[in-house]
Amino acid sequence: MASHGLDYDGCNFFRQRLVLSTLSGKRVKIKNIRSRDDNPGLRDFEASFIRLLDKVTNGSRIEINQTGTVLFYQPGLLNGGSVEHDCNPQRSIGYYLEALLMLAPFMKNSLKATLKGVTNDPVDPTVDLLKSTALPLMKKFGIDGEGFDLKVVKRGMAPGGGGEVLFTCPVRRTIRPVQLTDPGKIKRIRGVAYSVRVSPQMANRIVESTRAVLNQFIPDIYIFTDHMKGANSGKSPGFGLTLVAETLSGSFFSAEMSSTPQGQGDPILPEDLGRNCAKLLLEEIHRGGCVDSPNQSLALLLMTLGQQDVSKVLLGPLSPYTIEFLRHIRDFFQIMFKIEVQKPLEDERKGGDKVLMTCVGVGYSNINKTLK
Amino acid sequence: MDGKERKQRKHQQKHSGPKADKKKLRKQGGSTEEDGRKRNPKAFAVQSAVRMAKTFHRAQDIKAKKHHIPLVDRTPLEPPPVVVVVVGPPKVGKSTLIRCLIKNFTRQKLGDICGPVTIVSGKKRRLTFMECNNDINTMIDLAKVADLVLMLIDASFGFEMETFEFLNICQVHGFPRIMGVLTHLDSFKNNKTLRKTKKNLKHRFWTEVYQGAKLFYLSGMVYGEYQIQEVKNLGRFISVMKFRPLVWQTSHPYVLVDRMEDLTDPERVRTEPKCDRTVSLYGYLRGTNLKNKGQVHVPGVGDFQVADVNFLPDPCPLPDAQKKRALNEKERLLYAPMAGVGGVVYDKDAVYIDLPANHVNQQQEEVRPTTELVQSLIDTHATLDVKMAASKVTLFSGSATLDPADIDQQTGEKEGPREKLVWDPNTQRERRVVVFSEEGREEEEEEEEEDDDDDDDDDVDDVSGSSDGEDSDQEEEEKDEDEDEDEDNLSTFLKEARAKSERTEKNGKGSPPPVKKQKLEEKGEVPVFADSDDDLERSQEESEEKGDAGRAGDSGHCSEEDEEASDDDDEDDNDEESDDESVEEEDGAAEAAAEEQMRSESEGEEEQGALRWKDCLQQKASEAFLRQQAAAPNLRKLVYGSVAEAGDSGEDEEEELGGLFRVSRPQKSKKFTANSLDCSRFDPETSHNWDGEEMLNSIRDCFVTGKWEEGQDAATLLKEDEELYGDFEDLETGEVHKGQKEQQDDAENSEEEEEDNDEAEESLVKVDDDELQKNKRMEKKRRLKERFDAEYDDGDATYFDDLKEEMQKQAELNRAEFEDVDDEIRVQYEGFRPGMYVRLEISSLPCEFVNNFDPHYPIILGGLGSSEGNIGYLQVRLKKHRWYERILKTRDPLIMSLGWRRFQTIPLYHIEDHNGRHRLLKYTPEHMHCGASIWGPITPQGTGFLALQSVAGTKANFRIAATGVILDLDKSVTVVKKLKLIGHPYKIFKNTCFIKGMFNTVLEVAKFEGASVRTVSGVRGQIKKALSTPLGAYRATFEDRLLMSDIVFLRSWFPVTVPQLYNPVTSLLLPVGAKDGWAGMRTLGQLKYDLGIRNKPNTDSLYKPVVRGQRHFNRLHIPKELQKALPFKSKPKQQQPKGKTPRDMQRPSVIREPSERKVAALLQALTTVHNHKKKKAHTMQHTKHKEFLQQKEKQEVAKLKRQKEARKKLYRVMGQKDQKKQRSSLKGAPQDD
Repeated sequence: MASHGLDYDGCNFFRQRLVLSTLSGKRVKIKNIRSRDDNPGLRDFEASFIRLLDKVTNGSRIEINQTGTVLFYQPGLLNGGSVEHDCNPQRSIGYYLEALLMLAPFMKNSLKATLKGVTNDPVDPTVDLLKSTALPLMKKFGIDGEGFDLKVVKRGMAPGGGGEVLFTCPVRRTIRPVQLTDPGKIKRIRGVAYSVRVSPQMANRIVESTRAVLNQFIPDIYIFTDHMKGANSGKSPGFGLTLVAETLSGSFFSAEMSSTPQGQGDPILPEDLGRNCAKLLLEEIHRGGCVDSPNQSLALLLMTLGQQDVSKVLLGPLSPYTIEFLRHIRDFFQIMFKIEVQKPLEDERKGGDKVLMTCVGVGYSNINKTLK
Repeated sequence: MDGKERKQRKHQQKHSGPKADKKKLRKQGGSTEEDGRKRNPKAFAVQSAVRMAKTFHRAQDIKAKKHHIPLVDRTPLEPPPVVVVVVGPPKVGKSTLIRCLIKNFTRQKLGDICGPVTIVSGKKRRLTFMECNNDINTMIDLAKVADLVLMLIDASFGFEMETFEFLNICQVHGFPRIMGVLTHLDSFKNNKTLRKTKKNLKHRFWTEVYQGAKLFYLSGMVYGEYQIQEVKNLGRFISVMKFRPLVWQTSHPYVLVDRMEDLTDPERVRTEPKCDRTVSLYGYLRGTNLKNKGQVHVPGVGDFQVADVNFLPDPCPLPDAQKKRALNEKERLLYAPMAGVGGVVYDKDAVYIDLPANHVNQQQEEVRPTTELVQSLIDTHATLDVKMAASKVTLFSGSATLDPADIDQQTGEKEGPREKLVWDPNTQRERRVVVFSEEGREEEEEEEEEDDDDDDDDDVDDVSGSSDGEDSDQEEEEKDEDEDEDEDNLSTFLKEARAKSERTEKNGKGSPPPVKKQKLEEKGEVPVFADSDDDLERSQEESEEKGDAGRAGDSGHCSEEDEEASDDDDEDDNDEESDDESVEEEDGAAEAAAEEQMRSESEGEEEQGALRWKDCLQQKASEAFLRQQAAAPNLRKLVYGSVAEAGDSGEDEEEELGGLFRVSRPQKSKKFTANSLDCSRFDPETSHNWDGEEMLNSIRDCFVTGKWEEGQDAATLLKEDEELYGDFEDLETGEVHKGQKEQQDDAENSEEEEEDNDEAEESLVKVDDDELQKNKRMEKKRRLKERFDAEYDDGDATYFDDLKEEMQKQAELNRAEFEDVDDEIRVQYEGFRPGMYVRLEISSLPCEFVNNFDPHYPIILGGLGSSEGNIGYLQVRLKKHRWYERILKTRDPLIMSLGWRRFQTIPLYHIEDHNGRHRLLKYTPEHMHCGASIWGPITPQGTGFLALQSVAGTKANFRIAATGVILDLDKSVTVVKKLKLIGHPYKIFKNTCFIKGMFNTVLEVAKFEGASVRTVSGVRGQIKKALSTPLGAYRATFEDRLLMSDIVFLRSWFPVTVPQLYNPVTSLLLPVGAKDGWAGMRTLGQLKYDLGIRNKPNTDSLYKPVVRGQRHFNRLHIPKELQKALPFKSKPKQQQPKGKTPRDMQRPSVIREPSERKVAALLQALTTVHNHKKKKAHTMQHTKHKEFLQQKEKQEVAKLKRQKEARKKLYRVMGQKDQKKQRSSLKGAPQDD
């Protein structure tokens, strides 16, 4: 009776697999997790992720072998509701939040998740970035309304953490198909320069150097400085910058940089950080598309889970993560995307190649939502 | 596609009749409502504001009620045949009706109606008829797939229970169109009863379906068939009917199977008769798109994974030409393989030709193939082989031509004997498999020879494929020879045959069509791909040095190589015109081959020799982009691998894809990155130098400050406006402005003319010119209109209109997006479209399915959505059917029809309390909804279901026990039942007491600390704290003092578990003839009845004879004081014991003397006599008086009468007098006075 499961090797793309498994109801078995490693098996942050998944679902079965190299996951139904989770500080909250963003619209009760841990680190997309890009993206798919919010209550830098994020999301029965083919022109650039447990002057220094780079393109730049003090400042010092460019048609490009965590690697000057981050934003703009690179997979997932209609999204070059995500989507939902490369015209100065992704949704409906 | 070319029929104006009169009247200015309003404004004035508001509301209500939620129109361009299910009790004329309808549409007679029969009924419509027998399983299954139901009713008998059951089934599973058909009307001799019956039946039917539902009357039989005119009318109705999409059907793909082939190895079947079978099932795909590796449910069998799906050429296609109004004889196709009518039937790799000797042949004898193509096909003398042998092919430009003979020499492989091919598909398949498994092994063994081998195999493939094609040719030739027999058959199916033979020629049958077509399409891009591939590989080589060995030896690259090689062969074989392309491609392939050889040498290892181009392609992906080498198919390959092109993705390692190349699974060959960091960040690896001006310039236009596009730039837009509105005359100055566009146009035209002059004649140019100008004008007009619309129409567009428009747009986009994509690729993106004729291969079907196959029972493949294959707890809302005569008991098994499935489960009924608690019910309420929790398949909320207690046999009573809807899915249940814990006080203080007997341990008490308790008499209290001894005792406080005799109880709720029974009804697996005998778990009542168990009733509940004891009541005692105060009347008297009469009061008794005694006796006698006399006299007197009274009454009456007469007389006189007086007063003064 129960559908056949899927087998995978290795711990890479761990979240994708579990998230897609939960959404599709297919069980998944992941083998050889760091089996050749000196320290084999699942890491703490992965275990923490599994625990989070267990909290938001009801009736899922998780089996891990003794060494932690084999994981079996039989998904339950997404329950949602009020969830509090202490995220492992090895990875930032963004790691957990990315998965929650994918799951949240399809729960039984609207999700109200309080995540505690590292809000900003250089590895994962930070909470600020997700707030400014992923949320507007989801709004285009019809996930909006009251109670769709991501709030940084406390900021906690790596490695200590101590941050807190409140994520609330309403549930939807179906997802709207979208046609995001025109990225539009960038009308403004916003950003947040944050600093905790360092001099508040750091943020100002970042802003100055960033503006110097970006001002040659557009004058409408505003970078907020966010200096959190006392209880809201977490356990470790650090600073960083998140930049978001908004286009006329409501797409967002983002770039971010954080200072290297305390005690790991060379420290970075705030001026350099600002300049480099601005360049990263330019790089992101050069890639282009309607969705920026960290959110590609989210957009593709929501397209897949749409009605049985054609959805189109213009993306920049596919990231490796997205490519693997596409394969996983094919495994779990039997959906293939039509991938067309759009080369820029001769005299156009809009960055590199774009990829037009087209798919027909699976006609997914939220089976968790109660019918009253 | 054809629909757009269809010309509208010209409107014919009426010149006479009521319509024409009306029009005439209106033209002359006759009275309309407007007119009346003007003439008589008062009549239309507002009389009452309230009334007006009411009418307005009502009008709006009615308007709003007409709205349906707008849905995206997802109907395919070529829709699947409409499923017409013919339902009715036995002996009502179902088969006859189908036969008559088929005859009406196709002019063919069909003997036995077995399984679905598909026919072409018109230019745009096909019908699939399916007969529904009296089994309730069949009724349930067919109600789920029906588009139109013909409900046959025996008028001579009236409605039967089956009819109502079917109607109720339909209501639950979405209501398809239902048309009633009354038969047996000829049994009525009396015309009046006939009319009356018709009316009665009609009204009953209307209440069940809807008011005004169509009911057809088939008045009588002629030679065992219904009257032609009536059948024709019915057919017309069917072929113009419109259908509203049903929710379940439009959200799930499904196939009504019209053909079944067992593909299991016969040897295996012989050795193990009970082995699981591999079966291919055929049918039109309906509903929605079907994904390849999906899960399907076969009602009556179970859930299965589809091993493979292919689409086949339509066996019953719609006619192509749309010129004429009616279909010609050739286009009236009939397809019913289960009934033995199908003629040429195609499979993925075989052609079946049925040569029936039934009456179908004689019927169509006069029809001969008219098309010259068909004629030529029949007249072909040389087989394809011969032609092939004659053809020559050049591989490289400038090289010698190759003969097939050469290739044969090279390969050394011979094609199999042709004779056995057609009729034995299994062996054919087997043969091919063997060839390729060898090939696969060889591939691993010797790398160098790989290419050659591949060539060989492909050749074999092609040859065998072409031989298959020949087979069909050959068959046709054979048929040609004995034409008188199967000419008709041919003609019916020649079209398909033609199509197929062309196809087979083109494709070569060894590999599935997907591969080949894909390749043909990709020709142009191959060199680019090969190039980029190399890049990927080279870098991969380095990485692989350190990469661990022993990964799944899967070769994406090899497969590509194969593919390319086979490409060549294909082209060599068939299309000469693509020679140059193939040469180009060959170069690419050669390059790649060289590359590969080099690599394999360097690696040396065979296992690694299998190319792993996909490794570390994550890193490469970005680079590939940055180098701008990414072409579309390249990117596609990058993402999905070459597998995707072949159409199949997740097949097993061993399995070959149509024998061409092996499947690669990306995730298996990726150990390199398998354990790396899981991060969605995409950091640029080859960072651009953002300090340079050049780089900065490359993104200038991304900002609003950059250059805008032609169509969006403010300046150009302004200019355009000027052009558009350029032609105007300034009235003040009298200046005439002319748009510049015209001049431009002229210039353009002149230019074009010049160009054209070189090539074409002038007249042609002129036509072109006109056309061009016309187009421009049209364009201009259109834009103007759009502007106007945008400005003025937006105002009154409602939300509903907007929504509708949005849906419309989406539908158009859906249609347009994949329109021009080849079907083979299209199915990968979209899945298989509804309307396609598909073949689904399912392995591991139980052997009973094949052994007990009965074509009269429908086989349905219902596609399941994601996670619909799982099982969980369902919460449903359920209501016992009002026609079912019993209530349902909790924990009694119930058979449910939910989604595609029929299964037995054990429900727990419950009802929601005011505080949201689900309280368990022992029985369903009589006339009310209740909740139920079941263990069953996950099905989307809002899906309806129905429940039965048994599906076996037929019963007189109504069988549908309950209906309901799914509310919630969960992995846990929340149903609770009431539990009362009872205890007794053993020590009572004031308001506190110690209670024992409720719990057993201190821990239990601790859990219930603070809980409220109550006594039976209603004193409330609270548990305070556990006592150490006795165990389980506790201290509690109450609002009042308790008695030792009080019973204390605690009301609690105990969660119940739902039994996890999910038992699919496997009715299709039962032996033929006993398919309606499925019996699952029995209900408690049935079990007890069967086993003869009777419940021992509680003796207290039994009725015993009432024995009443003698009752004694004490005397009433009134105190003396009270007695004294009482009035005499109320004083007790009799009860007072009599005192002794004193002696002085005692009187002596008298003793008479004898004489005295005599006297006394005499006196006695005298008194008696006297009394008697007196009595007599009295009665006499009485009668006399009575008489007297009567007399007197009579006289009175007479007197009254007399008086009345007298009075009458008097009044008359008085009246006359009055009259006279009046008259005289009117006249004036009386004369005589």
